[in-house]
Amino acid sequence: MQYLVLIALLLLSGCSERLVRVMPYEKEYFAQDKMRLSPVDARAEQEGHIFLIREASAGGDSSFQGGCGCR
Amino acid sequence: MKKIIVLISLALSLFAGVSEGDKAVAFNLPTLDNSKNYSMSDFKGEVVLLNLWASWCSGCKEEMPEFFKLQKEYKSGFKIVAVSIDKDPADAKKFLNSVEGEVGFATPFISLHDVSKKLPKAYRAVAMPSSYLIDKNGVIKLVIVGSLNNKEIEELKQEINKLK
Repeated sequence: MQYLVLIALLLLSGCSERLVRVMPYEKEYFAQDKMRLSPVDARAEQEGHIFLIREASAGGDSSFQGGCGCR
Repeated sequence: MKKIIVLISLALSLFAGVSEGDKAVAFNLPTLDNSKNYSMSDFKGEVVLLNLWASWCSGCKEEMPEFFKLQKEYKSGFKIVAVSIDKDPADAKKFLNSVEGEVGFATPFISLHDVSKKLPKAYRAVAMPSSYLIDKNGVIKLVIVGSLNNKEIEELKQEINKLK
């Protein structure tokens, strides 16, 4: 009986949704620059600047912003 | 119940990586320039540091100049076998060329190419880079996960000298 349960569990596990585990040696594409959240550092700084302006009252990074997006 | 536990532990052991005391995995791989093939048996009677690396792996790139210097120190009895798993061997060659420029001498070790990633799969490498110190009889004596710093290289030298 125990064996039947074990075999049934094994067979059922084949139908379960499988989690895909990316092994360290398979991360070639993840290591590419374009896969970074901020692929271009300069652009990340620019994006931060725009974010502060858009949020206006958020408190500023280093200086007051007029809302025009210019420095 | 005991039988089930034994079966489960046997099944789990199939997923375990290689460890110290295991036999080194046999391979037959071409060099980066595809001029020659090497197999594990070619290094019988020598202490081998098998290094699995890639040009897209920052840790691998950090430790590579140290491996250049390490191999230069050992004229005989010890060989570094660097296996690149890059898709394009040109990427690996380009990086090795840049290290050559940095250290001032040609690549002193054997550089192989494993495009199908057979070796990391067989070794169940849990990190990149992964290195394996293999003794003269082809037995794994040390599993190194991740990149090595200067202090760890010194410790590795002691292990190599013990095995030589």
